[in-house]
Amino acid sequence: MTKRLVDSDEILSCRILAIDDEEANIALLRNVLEREGYSQIECLTDPREALATYMEFEPDIVLLDLMMPEVDGFQLLESFGRHDAADEFRPILVLTADTTVQARRRALALGAKDFVSKPFDVIEVGLRISNLLETRILYSRLKP
Amino acid sequence: MTEEPLKSNLRFWTDRPLAFKGLVVIALPLAILLSALFSLYLASSAEAEAEDDVRRAFAIQRDTYQVHALLAEAAAGVRGFVLTREERFLEPYKRAETDLPATMNRLDIAIEDEVVRGHFEYLQEVVATKRDGLSSTVALAGAPNTISEISLENALLDNRQSLDAVRMAVEEVQRTEAIVLERRQILVDNVRTGFLGLTAVSAVIGLLGSIAGVYLFSTGIVRRVSRLEENAGKLARGERLRELPEESDEIGRLAKRLTRASALLRAREEDLRASEERFRLVIERVRDYGIFTLDKDGVVTSWNLGAKRIKGWSADEILNQHFSRFYPEETRDFLPAQMLERARAEGAAEDEGWRVRKDGTRFWANVVITALRDEEGELQGFAKVTRDMSERRRSEEALRLAREEAVAANRAKTQFLSRTSHELRTPLNAILGFGQLLEISEEEFESHHREAIGQIAKAGRHLLSLINDLLDISSIEAGATDVEIEPVPVAVFLQDLYALAAPIVASAGLRFDLDIPTEDCSVLADRRRATQVVLNLIGNAAKYNTSGCSVRLGAALWDDTVAFIVEDDGPGIAPADVPRLFTAFDRLGQQDRAKIEGTGLGLALSKSLAESMDGGLTYEAANKGARFCFTVRKSAAGAGAPNNAAGEATA
Repeated sequence: MTKRLVDSDEILSCRILAIDDEEANIALLRNVLEREGYSQIECLTDPREALATYMEFEPDIVLLDLMMPEVDGFQLLESFGRHDAADEFRPILVLTADTTVQARRRALALGAKDFVSKPFDVIEVGLRISNLLETRILYSRLKP
Repeated sequence: MTEEPLKSNLRFWTDRPLAFKGLVVIALPLAILLSALFSLYLASSAEAEAEDDVRRAFAIQRDTYQVHALLAEAAAGVRGFVLTREERFLEPYKRAETDLPATMNRLDIAIEDEVVRGHFEYLQEVVATKRDGLSSTVALAGAPNTISEISLENALLDNRQSLDAVRMAVEEVQRTEAIVLERRQILVDNVRTGFLGLTAVSAVIGLLGSIAGVYLFSTGIVRRVSRLEENAGKLARGERLRELPEESDEIGRLAKRLTRASALLRAREEDLRASEERFRLVIERVRDYGIFTLDKDGVVTSWNLGAKRIKGWSADEILNQHFSRFYPEETRDFLPAQMLERARAEGAAEDEGWRVRKDGTRFWANVVITALRDEEGELQGFAKVTRDMSERRRSEEALRLAREEAVAANRAKTQFLSRTSHELRTPLNAILGFGQLLEISEEEFESHHREAIGQIAKAGRHLLSLINDLLDISSIEAGATDVEIEPVPVAVFLQDLYALAAPIVASAGLRFDLDIPTEDCSVLADRRRATQVVLNLIGNAAKYNTSGCSVRLGAALWDDTVAFIVEDDGPGIAPADVPRLFTAFDRLGQQDRAKIEGTGLGLALSKSLAESMDGGLTYEAANKGARFCFTVRKSAAGAGAPNNAAGEATA
């Protein structure tokens, strides 16, 4: 597998929160993540529960859809940003079918660490997730 | 009959030059006055001569008396001497002897008249006789020896007789002299009367002459100058000039010039008035603009047809009314005054807003008020031009609504597109994702399942690229995506493209050539879209070049455009297919190319993209294979490629 600075077990033990209103996509994500070997996966199809779950579950990474009914991904990005401490590095990977530049820019500006358009390459998504988690672990190691 | 020659004489007179007239007017009375003076002189000299004559006559009288007196005294003395023989009685005789010659001599000189002279000559004779008589008597009486009383007696008698003769001669001389004097006196009186008469006549003529001179002066100059002055005044006031007879002296010529000036002025004035009238008529008949004038305080002073049409009032109804009544109540109190003030301060004031018609209805007006000033800059009033903009406002409103609707429709379309995109991609994500997962673990399946999984994944990918291209085309055609035109340096752009496309070409097993033009410049393009176009062209070239061995990327610099050229040495495109090249879903020679993946949207999309940035996409048949030209405008800024950018691109 890929050369890593962090032990893969440490990465696979990270908590992952996936939010997408589409059941099929949640199923796909869970499938991909389980296949990779992640054990702590929390999936949500109702974005209204997202913030509560976020605070309770304290994920190491969030996989976030943008276009959702009631509460959209941008609002959630803002809420997560407000909740986190200033020196917290909790990566959010936006996965969306909205391919417009505007959406991409807005999401990244609101604090998303990465952006992948749907339909995505499952392998690529897996790699991006593990990369972001690796960064988070390295960052937390640096913290006093 | 008598008037004609007088007139012609006057005419002759008025035609003379002024210098001549001056000479005549001054010289004529002067000459007459001089002649009067001369006659006065003649009269006085005649008088002086007459006085001389009188004086001389008196002298003659006196001298003749003296002659008589001397002789009488001498005779008395001699008688006394004869009687007494005393010497003292001879004194008068001796005095007479000495004085008489002188006196006689004076008389001789004084007497001029011939008759008198005749008597004088006789007087001389008798005086001589008397003297002789006296001297002989004295001699007789003095001789002591010859005393002859009788002769003495005789001598004395003779003496007395001769004295009587003297007396008579003297009387004669005096009488004739008196007659001569009287005659002379009469003559002198006549001469004097004559000359005095002449003087009087001269004086009268002189007076008449000066009156005539003054008359001539006044007719010849003063009256005409004053008429000329009157005409000049009329000219200044612009009135018609009084007709003056044609005369050829200086005043006449001046009058003629004045008349000509007046005619010119009148013609010019006539032109001006005609043009003003034309202008007034034009303004009056303008129907689409309300044009009217205000005095300094804003009271309407003129009104045209357009004003009547727009506002409803006729000229009779609105003249002398204040223009604030055109304003609706809410602005009436301040806006009219503000407008006038602005026009006064800035020369003109423009405003657009509601105005009121006669019937109380409102209309949307464009109003321009211009201050009218005379040559000295003194404010004379205002001109006001009003346009009824209601129609235009309505159409502008309609246009605005239409534009808003179009914008809204466009926004809706954009939203629909992005929504569609999202809605189509979302299920595809699951399909493709799971398909990929199945492919990854294909060893778990049997071969016919594996094949089915492969077909699902392939069809899913095809569907995805279809959706992508279709949405791209739609969003470009809807103008839903922004075009970001910027100067793109050609060389760097080509190098970037080469780097991006090299793997595609390589995977097709072809050689990839890059020709960068020696002269660099920039193009005005949306970098992302331009990249997409060229990549698509390269992708096509790689995909369809089944017979050749290379793909070439280059650029041609033209006057104001740059063409990015992608060509290959493959089979090319059949001439019959060229017209349908850029039509969506028209995959040329579908049957032959079934093996080649494609949506049939690539070139249509590329053309749309090129056109969206004011460029173009054309196909040219090359010697061998196909050649596509993607043209974009050249940037006026010229080549702006920083060196480090070029360096990065090639690295």
